[in-house]
Amino acid sequence: MTAHGLFTAHVPGTSLLHRMALWAKLAGVLLVGATPWLARSVWPLAFVSVGLAALVALARLPVRLLARSLRGLLPLLLVLLAFQWWSTGLAYAVRVVLGIANAFVAAGILTATTPVTDLLDGAARAARPLRRLVDPEVVALTLGVVVRSVPWVAGSFSDVRESARARGLDRNPRAVVVPTVVHVVAFARSTGEALAARGLVDPGDEGGGATDADR
Amino acid sequence: MGEDTPAASVRLAGATVEVPLDDSPGRDRTRTILGPVDLSLDQRRISVIGANGSGKSTLLRLLNGLVAPTSGTVTVDGLDTVRQGARVRRRVAFAFTDPLSQLVMPTGREDVELSLRRRHRSRGERRRAAQEVLERFGVDHLADQSVYDLSGGERQLMALAVVLATDPALLVLDEPTTLLDRRNTRLLRELLHSLPQSVVVATHDLDLALTAERTLVVDAGRVVFDGAPVEAVACYTALVDES
Repeated sequence: MTAHGLFTAHVPGTSLLHRMALWAKLAGVLLVGATPWLARSVWPLAFVSVGLAALVALARLPVRLLARSLRGLLPLLLVLLAFQWWSTGLAYAVRVVLGIANAFVAAGILTATTPVTDLLDGAARAARPLRRLVDPEVVALTLGVVVRSVPWVAGSFSDVRESARARGLDRNPRAVVVPTVVHVVAFARSTGEALAARGLVDPGDEGGGATDADR
Repeated sequence: MGEDTPAASVRLAGATVEVPLDDSPGRDRTRTILGPVDLSLDQRRISVIGANGSGKSTLLRLLNGLVAPTSGTVTVDGLDTVRQGARVRRRVAFAFTDPLSQLVMPTGREDVELSLRRRHRSRGERRRAAQEVLERFGVDHLADQSVYDLSGGERQLMALAVVLATDPALLVLDEPTTLLDRRNTRLLRELLHSLPQSVVVATHDLDLALTAERTLVVDAGRVVFDGAPVEAVACYTALVDES
């Protein structure tokens, strides 16, 4: 399985972004995600794109990681652009696509400049007021697994597409989508099993694991 | 070899695992995939051999409660794997064939820290403890690389560091050498030999199986041989030749 990009791993560094508080980075990601709703034209979004490119440079993140991340997303963006152009118009389609690309890059900068363990600590802290309803550690773990799964799914899609191409089936969406879904389900299952085997989803001191329902 | 540490004590009493047959209406018809198995495992090094689909993995999964017995009981150091599953999993670490499915964080260091989250709440303590674990297993130089960029052997070593970070009493490994070349297989064998933990390993690598003190042969969901590794391998080879 191959998977590379901004989401693959934390890129150690000492830049301003690396040192910035987690809440500030999260607020930035949310703001970038909200710009498509706030902007009335394509220009503010293009301005955000330039700003994000500057942040990638400021954090000294390898440009090839950014390119790889976007290359994985490109087919989806193109389909979306075509559909929105056809259904609503070019200006709106460009706004939607730029908005998604910006949010994707902003989230990638966050994960590349923040160790996942810091993200987990932040999520566990944020979920602490809800501890009567849900174990904060499970919330943190869920976030960690999501971060880890994004590059895996992208890598799986890329591998399946290569296999389909080798068989001359790359123009057949079924030959790409069905195996990808099968891979993702198998991955989810094996990840769940690995987490259970390590006791990471076990509650407290007693119980957990196999239940009577399994019997 | 950590001879001072007492070996983990595993008991299987009439343990049977059944799965529903998909084509049965209401799924009330079942197929027995393992058992009944009655075993006491007290040795430090135990190997399990058998053909694909024979029930080796199911037997191993019973040991840390990943699979619950349909009937019978499984206990580890007196703890029931169903009723006291969480405590059992703290004593029993499980390593899968594919280390990539085991490593759930982007880097090895983050994964080791994840293992230590419940033990060390303070971030600083957790980082120090993770560094110690990584150094102990000789993988600290790989700790900050993406798990995707590690070789198969490096990933397997990292996965072992991750599951052993919490100092379990028993390590269960499901075909750990299947994806490794000869060199990495040798390295893994040496590492397993040096561990203070009790080890139960299911494997197709008969050389690895021969390093155990006791070997089980599993065939069609039954333990058909239980004894010395050399005789167990002869039994398994005869089974394969017969089929």
